[in-house]
Amino acid sequence: MSKRSDESAIWTILGYLLSGLLFWGGVGYFADRFFNTSYLTLVGILMGMGGGLYLVWLRFGR
Amino acid sequence: MRALSVFSAKGDEFVPPSSVDFVLPPIFENIPFITKPILLVLLSVLLVSLFFSLSARKAAVVPSKFQFAGELVYGFVRKDLGQEILGHDFKRFMPYLFSLFTFILTNNIFGIVPFLQFPSFSRISFAYVLGIITFGVFHYVGIRKQGIKKYVKDIMFMPGVPKPVYILLTPIEIATFLVVRPLTLSLRLFANMFAGHLLLMIFILGGEHLLQGAIAMKAVGFFAFGMGIALTFFEFLVQCLQAYIFTLLTALYIAGGLADEH
Repeated sequence: MSKRSDESAIWTILGYLLSGLLFWGGVGYFADRFFNTSYLTLVGILMGMGGGLYLVWLRFGR
Repeated sequence: MRALSVFSAKGDEFVPPSSVDFVLPPIFENIPFITKPILLVLLSVLLVSLFFSLSARKAAVVPSKFQFAGELVYGFVRKDLGQEILGHDFKRFMPYLFSLFTFILTNNIFGIVPFLQFPSFSRISFAYVLGIITFGVFHYVGIRKQGIKKYVKDIMFMPGVPKPVYILLTPIEIATFLVVRPLTLSLRLFANMFAGHLLLMIFILGGEHLLQGAIAMKAVGFFAFGMGIALTFFEFLVQCLQAYIFTLLTALYIAGGLADEH
C-alpha cells in the first residue's frame, strides 16, 4: 500500500512543478511581450517553480 | 507505402523518415476520414471485445486455455490497478479501467504487428480523446463523492496558507487539475508511440537503404537492421508500459477524487 501512495505522490509532484512552471512562466512571457521587457519570463518561471515546490511541501512535507 | 517509395528511389539520396510519414492518405479517395489509424482503432475494438466475450462465454470452474488467458489479463488489471489503488470501492471502475488498458495495449501493439505496423496513438487526436474521457471520469467521480462546492474548494485552496499566497498557489492548482493532468496523460502516450515508431522506421528503412549500397555499406546496413529488430522488442516493452501507466494514472486520479481530503 505504501508503495502505491509513493507512486501517486511522484505524479502529483511532477504535475505541480510542471504547472507552476507553465502557468507563471506563461504569465511572465506575456507580461514581457506586453511591457516590452525581457526579464519577466525569468521572474515568472522562478515564481512558478517556487510556488510548485511550496505546494509539494504543503502537501507532502509537513 | 513508405518502403515502396524508398525502393523506387534506389540509388538516390536517402530521405530520412519524419513526421510526414505519420500522415497517411485516405484509403478510398473520396472518403477522407477512412484512414489506416481509424481502421486500426476499429479493428482493436473488434479484437478486444471478441477476445474477451469469447473467453468469458463458456466460463467454467476449470478454465479452458482461452478463458485462462482472458482471466489472466483481467486479474492483473483488477488486482494491480483496481484493488490496490481504489480500495474497497474498486469494482465500480473496473469496466472503465479494464477497457482502457486493453484498448490502449492492443492499439500500441499494432505498432509492431507485421502488416499493421502503425501505433494508432502516434496520431495525437486519439490520445487527446482518451485524456479527455479520463479527465471527465475523475472529475465526475470527485464531484459526485464530495459535492461540487467542497470538491472545487479542495482543489483551489490548500489549507493552512496565509491568504495572499493563494494568488500564487491557486492558479497552479487549477492548472494542475484542469490542464496539466489530462494533457500530460495524452502527451506521454502520444510521444512514446510517435518516437518509438519513428525510431523503428529510421533503423529499418535506413538499414534497407544501406543494404542496397556498396559492400562496406552493406555491413553497416546489416548492423542497422539488427538494431531495428532489437528495438522492436524494446518497443514491445514500451508499448505495454505505456498502456499500464495510462491506466495506472487514471486509477490514481480517480482515487484522488474519492479520497476525502484533498
